[in-house]
Amino acid sequence: MANVFTLMQHASIRRVFLFIILFGLLINFDYPDNWDISGPVVAAIIAGLIMLNMHLVLYLPFRAQVVVFWFELLTLFMVFFYSFDLSYTFIIERLPLLIFTGIGYTLLVSALSIMIASGIALVGALMRLSNNGAAFAISTFYVSFFRGTPLLLQVYLIYLGLPQLGIILDAIPSGVIALSLCYGAYMTEIFRSGIQAVPKAQTEAALALGLKSWQIMLKVVLPQAIRIIIPPTGNNFIAMLKDSSLVSAMGVMELMYLARTLGRSEFKHFEMLITAALIYWFISFLFELLQGRLEKHFGKSMKR
Amino acid sequence: MMNWTKCALGLTAMIAFTSFAQAGEVLDKVMADKTMIVATNSEYPPASYLNSEGKFDGFDVDVAKELAKRLGVQATFINPAWEAITSGKWGGRWQMAIGSMTPTPARAQVLDFPAVYYFTPAAFYVHQKASYESLKDLNGKKIGASAGSTYESYLNKTLKLDEAYSPPFDYLVEPGEIRTYETDTNAMDDLRLGDGVRLDAGISSVPNIHEAIKNNYPLRILGEPVFFEPLAVVVAKGDKEFSQKTGAIVEEMRADGTLKALSIKWFGADLVSTKAK
Repeated sequence: MANVFTLMQHASIRRVFLFIILFGLLINFDYPDNWDISGPVVAAIIAGLIMLNMHLVLYLPFRAQVVVFWFELLTLFMVFFYSFDLSYTFIIERLPLLIFTGIGYTLLVSALSIMIASGIALVGALMRLSNNGAAFAISTFYVSFFRGTPLLLQVYLIYLGLPQLGIILDAIPSGVIALSLCYGAYMTEIFRSGIQAVPKAQTEAALALGLKSWQIMLKVVLPQAIRIIIPPTGNNFIAMLKDSSLVSAMGVMELMYLARTLGRSEFKHFEMLITAALIYWFISFLFELLQGRLEKHFGKSMKR
Repeated sequence: MMNWTKCALGLTAMIAFTSFAQAGEVLDKVMADKTMIVATNSEYPPASYLNSEGKFDGFDVDVAKELAKRLGVQATFINPAWEAITSGKWGGRWQMAIGSMTPTPARAQVLDFPAVYYFTPAAFYVHQKASYESLKDLNGKKIGASAGSTYESYLNKTLKLDEAYSPPFDYLVEPGEIRTYETDTNAMDDLRLGDGVRLDAGISSVPNIHEAIKNNYPLRILGEPVFFEPLAVVVAKGDKEFSQKTGAIVEEMRADGTLKALSIKWFGADLVSTKAK
């Protein structure tokens, strides 16, 4: 094993290795029959071109490299989608519905859920860290159950199970409650780790200054914990954005439901699924930007 | 201790009261609201689907609208997950389900089937270029169907159709391997890649296969339909009056030719009187 790593230190060997991997991947694709050259040769040429391209781009400054590679990867994706021979009129006809109704419900459900889940997570984390046995037990039981069971089951328990006890909730509240409880459980752990990551000395110093325990939590620990909490929370929000499609099990016309059913009507499911994929991707991209700004804001204390 | 017993009793009582609607209760609610909420399954064109405006459309939807009209109310539609409908735990969220559901003894334990309103012929389909000539050629082949469907049951030879409604049938194919999918369309997508690439044949409803062929799927139907699946209007258990009234209206629609006309409009064929034998 160690030998492999020593070998890999030589740039030429690394290149040969990369070429073999690329060639091995590219040889699997179908190439048009009417080309004069055979499949393996085409694969070798493309592999060579990719490597030449990488080599040339690396002469650019860092930011330019990133932009060029992003653009190239995106183009590859577009070519892949284009190969499906999609019907664009079908997509354009249904785009307003996907955007206004679909995104509307998806964002409504996800945004409400992430806010409630954050509240639950804060309370859950504090209970988890408290010395009270009941609080600790409730918090750990809750986290264990909601992390350990499938979200779809939780949706059904709330939507179909609660009516057995006389509580009949509409589809959207049921979905929001299920998502909040489920993600609240994951985020309880995130909040706990964030709070625990703040050095104990901070609490002790605050105690020495005579601050009350709630003041310590609110003014000393939490502001520092948030910096650590934000990246994994952003991660969770993006995951939730897509998991919110589970509320379609209750007939809510969110993005994924519309994509699935509209596509079904004329057997054009690829059209709708790819469109939905791009929309989800775009929303998460916007959220990544927002997360970056939040991280900058709460990371101010770390800069000197 | 006493308190716990009381609590448990109370809960049991609540469950007992909420899971069964009282006689006439659903009908009264529908008449009072002037609307009937109908659950459908909009993933199966042309029976039921979402049109380009995002409105429910199709044979099932037209039947529901006509049924509501004859009740003197308006129909609105909802599309919950299929399991939410078949679970029978409707919680009063919708009053009727018209989504091409087959009555089975298991479903009849939690749901009522006031009337069968049409029959779907089920048939095997193969790739257009495949050389199969009869159903016998499919013995030992890889055959696809949607999981949990009557088609899968047919392949497994465990299909139980209520004899009260359905014509008798035989198991004509001995599959080598059964592949199950989320929906029939996924199986068609696999077969579309070429004969035998992932799949050799599939089984689905004839209207669904025709719809796929119309949308350029390279498929063809092999042989005659293998069974006729009765499809019923569904209501929750408990309200006999509502159930009877619904059944009477469906019979009326059958007698005056409305159902047949709708079937020809959507399927291009009369699937209502297919009561073969």
